[in-house]
Amino acid sequence: MLQLKALHVEDFGPFKGHQTVKLSLQDGVTVIYGENMRGKTSLLNAVRFAFFGKVIGRGTKTLSLHKVGNWEQAARGKFGFQVQLEFRDEDHEYKLTRSCRPRNGVTTPSSDDDYVVDYYLEKNANVLGPQQAEAELKRILPEQISRFFLFDGELLQEYEDLLSSETDMGRRISEAIERILGVPVLTSARTTLLRLKEKSEHREATAAQGDHKTREFGNQLADLHAQRQVLNEELKRLEGELEKMRSQKASLEEAMKKKERVAALLDKRDTLERLLKEIEARRGSKMAELQQAMAGAWCVLLVNPISDATKVLRESELVLQNNLMRAEVLHGLQANAASECPACLQKVSPEARKRIEASIHGASDKERAEKSRELAAVRRKLAALDQHAGAGRSDVLRILWDAVEEAAVDHAAKQSERDEIAKQLESVDEESLRKTKADFESTIRHIDVLERGVAKTREALDQNKSDAENIQKRLDKLAGANLGAERRRRELFSDLHRLFDDAVGAYREQLRKRVEADATRHFKALTTEPEYAGLRINDSYGLTIVHQDGADIPVRSAGAEHVVALCLMGALQNNAPLRGPIVIDSPFGRLDRGHTRNIVRALPTMSKQVVLLVYDDELPPDLARNELKSKLRGEWRLERRSARHTELVPRKD
Amino acid sequence: MASDKKTIGITKANAAALAGLVSAGRFGSELDAAKFAMAYAIKLGLTGGSTDGAETKWNVGSVDPDGSMRSLLEALCPEGAEPYRLAEHLMNEGIKSLATKLGASGDLYETLFPGSP
Repeated sequence: MLQLKALHVEDFGPFKGHQTVKLSLQDGVTVIYGENMRGKTSLLNAVRFAFFGKVIGRGTKTLSLHKVGNWEQAARGKFGFQVQLEFRDEDHEYKLTRSCRPRNGVTTPSSDDDYVVDYYLEKNANVLGPQQAEAELKRILPEQISRFFLFDGELLQEYEDLLSSETDMGRRISEAIERILGVPVLTSARTTLLRLKEKSEHREATAAQGDHKTREFGNQLADLHAQRQVLNEELKRLEGELEKMRSQKASLEEAMKKKERVAALLDKRDTLERLLKEIEARRGSKMAELQQAMAGAWCVLLVNPISDATKVLRESELVLQNNLMRAEVLHGLQANAASECPACLQKVSPEARKRIEASIHGASDKERAEKSRELAAVRRKLAALDQHAGAGRSDVLRILWDAVEEAAVDHAAKQSERDEIAKQLESVDEESLRKTKADFESTIRHIDVLERGVAKTREALDQNKSDAENIQKRLDKLAGANLGAERRRRELFSDLHRLFDDAVGAYREQLRKRVEADATRHFKALTTEPEYAGLRINDSYGLTIVHQDGADIPVRSAGAEHVVALCLMGALQNNAPLRGPIVIDSPFGRLDRGHTRNIVRALPTMSKQVVLLVYDDELPPDLARNELKSKLRGEWRLERRSARHTELVPRKD
Repeated sequence: MASDKKTIGITKANAAALAGLVSAGRFGSELDAAKFAMAYAIKLGLTGGSTDGAETKWNVGSVDPDGSMRSLLEALCPEGAEPYRLAEHLMNEGIKSLATKLGASGDLYETLFPGSP
């Protein structure tokens, strides 16, 4: 079992100069405390760099090595870094040293190309040759399963993908789980036996071709074997390409995730452009309506003068009308002297007649005509006043005006938002973003085509096998020269292949049950919810929380996801043939105190050696000491010297 | 009445202000803006006078196709014997006043809807 003894870092990240953290080989937990930006993730990366020569940033993206060296040293012209890891495995002592130094002749490196990464491995104080070193490292900690030993607590969320068989991440984790559980030992053996079985079938077919009684069947089988070989090669090619495409899809997804903010900005800008066009059109149509209505706006200003003038003219009209009527009546009376008064129907007395004549004297025909013209003029003016009083619709004008203004304000606001976004996008390579998107879509299409190709080829292979089996059955009824020995060989490999095939299924089933049982045991110890009864495993090793009434809990929080993922980690460690230390960065960031307490207490049951990289608020030292007691094997602190310089010191408070 | 004008014009000095009113976008034509200016002058209390040096812009037939504007002016400004001459004067004076009042903004809102928020 792999156990870490000491980590020496030199100019790695914030760790300036040579610094060492020593780890106890006794079972238990070492806690390294450090506030944000002090270098917790760098320490995890130092272990990763020692084993695999890689440094990973937040997320899963590989970091540029040029950026990993200590900045203060780089400012002084000293570039590069080194990590040395002392560990024990199967009672052997190892010292792994990996360095990243500027290439010969490069004084001021500017990119990863300016560096050389080199390593050597000492086993029991003897330096191993490069090939032996590589083989040893692959055996001790294969990179494909490193995710179960060295991990960022924040990435535990990824394990949720195991619940969906559709995601590439889920598929990859599932494969890694099978790898750590040792399934490939069986599956590789099964593949080898399949090849041997096919080879023996071919040999039997060749033998059958040598005898005239069996030649026909031998020829047919040989053809089918040849066809199968082509199909197998095609399947291998398609699966290889599919794997490549899936990995391309994953890195494109990663790239798109990184550019998510920019993509969202671009989308928003495009939406704003569209909205601006719509507002522009709305504003244009409202403006046209307003301009049409503004032809009568002048009448709105005249509402009061028109009303005043109307009042005056109505009075004049009344006076003129009365005057004219009176003149008309008097004129009628004079013209019909003997007749009665048209108003009272009485005889007009001589005195009254004299008064009428006197009045008529003042109302000549000419004067009456003048008054009549005057009245007509007043009425014409009144008609004009009436006409224009109704022409000015202030309310309609205001509605239209406000609509135009509103559209203008809306337009200005959207335009300013658009301009702000455009400013943020100034240095963005839109073309590259669009290309990433297009590549992603094309990769998905390609994957679809390849998947259909794989399915079709498998179908053809199944058909080929079925045809071969039929012919084989007929051939089995016949005997021929050398056929018996080849037949026995074929039957042996066939039986062995079937045995291993069954064994893979049985082993997987056993493993799932064991992982489920161990994960449930951990879960019961970790969860603070008494109604949760345990975990249920699916074919991809995804774990679902089960309520005490037997129902699945369909949705879980980020915190619950963390707890479940940690249970899976513990269960894998318990069941894997290959065991080792767990180094976790920020494991409790999403967890409440109750869960943190339970997990700390349970950590020693998950792995013999655990290293926690935490900050004080995430795991208060008193809590760690109380819960771990004698299992607490060491406490270290990342102490700030400057923004770019951290010192690793034993914690003594 | 026989000597009243057959055309209506705008002085050179007011032509730019009139164009400014129209370019602010609210009026569909210079004639609409000129009529508005005329009404504004009446609202300010102007009821008589004439403008010299106006350069012909419109025939009265285009300005007042049904003669109702002339009747209106006769009703509102009874002392004016020549309504179209008066209309021309009021338009020019109104343009001048509006240009002073509105300045560069050309915002008629307050003029059209006084007391609005």
